[in-house]
Amino acid sequence: MEELFDDIERLAHAEKRVAMATLVATRGTSPKREGAKMWVGEEGRILGSVTIGGCVDARVIAESEQALSSFKSRLVEMKLGNEDAWEIGFSCAGDLDVLIEPVDLTRPDNMLELYRAVRTAVDQGKRAVIATLLKESSRKLLIIEGGEIAGSLGTSELDNEAQTTALDLMRKGVSSTVSLGPDSAPVFFETHGPPPTLIVFGANHVAMPLVSLAHDLGLKTIVVDGRPRFATRERFPDVDELLIGIPSEIAETLTYTSSTFVVLTAHDYKYDLPVLRVTLPARPAYVGLLGSKRRGAAIKEFLRDAGMDQSLLDQLHVPTGLDIGAETAAEIALSILAETVALKYAK
Amino acid sequence: MPALYSDILLDHFRHPRNYGSLAAPDISNEQFNPLCGDRIRLELKFDQLRVSEARFKGDGCAISTAAASLLTELVLGEDVEELTNISDAQLISALESNIQPARLQCALLPLQALREGLKNYRTNPLENQ
Repeated sequence: MEELFDDIERLAHAEKRVAMATLVATRGTSPKREGAKMWVGEEGRILGSVTIGGCVDARVIAESEQALSSFKSRLVEMKLGNEDAWEIGFSCAGDLDVLIEPVDLTRPDNMLELYRAVRTAVDQGKRAVIATLLKESSRKLLIIEGGEIAGSLGTSELDNEAQTTALDLMRKGVSSTVSLGPDSAPVFFETHGPPPTLIVFGANHVAMPLVSLAHDLGLKTIVVDGRPRFATRERFPDVDELLIGIPSEIAETLTYTSSTFVVLTAHDYKYDLPVLRVTLPARPAYVGLLGSKRRGAAIKEFLRDAGMDQSLLDQLHVPTGLDIGAETAAEIALSILAETVALKYAK
Repeated sequence: MPALYSDILLDHFRHPRNYGSLAAPDISNEQFNPLCGDRIRLELKFDQLRVSEARFKGDGCAISTAAASLLTELVLGEDVEELTNISDAQLISALESNIQPARLQCALLPLQALREGLKNYRTNPLENQ
């Protein structure tokens, strides 16, 4: 997400006209999900990718250059059957639809302004969806979490239907093409939101590889502990934020969204109990607790006795992580992140 | 010999008294155990030179939490001189438990916050008026 906004700003300073290629639909398997973008500048710059490179991206680049010449949008359908896929080395064997839209960056009302509005919303912790009518891609509707909208798909009926669909996709955190209206007009919904965030309570030896791996996976990371000797930059060189203080008090100040993953690694009830009292009711995407089933049962019983609702206790993943037989700190970290990735993709 | 964890200790851990914060405390001091991570903040409000309100906040083990909870009861109504005279033994005794030497640091953490808070209170007299 941040990569997209960075690409936009880099292009805005270097190019006058660019083609924005967006993966709007996939059938079969695909290395990238709907919403992936590639930018092709008139001066030759290429940023991003709609696949993992190779022949498909090359075709997209060629189509983008033609779209820039004619300055007309086009929807490119790449129907790759299995035989074609093997022949050209595209091992994923999926069919792709890519929307290519030329953008004149010298015009003050160019499309990048739309993305800047999205960035502003995302920076405020909100989700935003850009809906694009695929048969006439200049018709766009921006829907921001909280009710703000801008633009139109052409009719109020389409706009109303699009808002309902957008709210559903915001909740799921996915981009997708959906047919709307009496004519079943395909509309691409491009969903943006705050970056997934991993909040780790307990700056111990498991937290260290957990934060490093999470950083590599593109998560924003926050580590919380009461001990300045443990929560150090030296131990957590990749962490975005190190917060030292009373952990449960810090927990109350943090924002929890459907993109927030919380992991308690302290393995100490003095942190686990008060932090769970704050984080479980906040209903982030995931709350995991390091410890055995037996320890987890005791922690849950304590919280239940203290009045916590069973539905909240059921949200607690304990032991945290997929059961891959992990033993070392790095392996445990891998199992935890594997579980969060599985959750993200509803596997 | 008292129990390892007395009923009073467990009760104050499970149902801590005076947990929270004060809007404008006269004394606020936070202390932590650097290795085990207990962290306790003690806040006091004076009225006519005596403690009228006491609160504590923190994430700590059963011993440090219960000790902080008990301390907020011990300090009520005391003046600065009397607060200064609260001894280690007095707080340990209030826990009615067999506190092992290795856990004394946990039990005395809130008292450490009180003493540091009093020290600051005395050295900044202008701020205390």
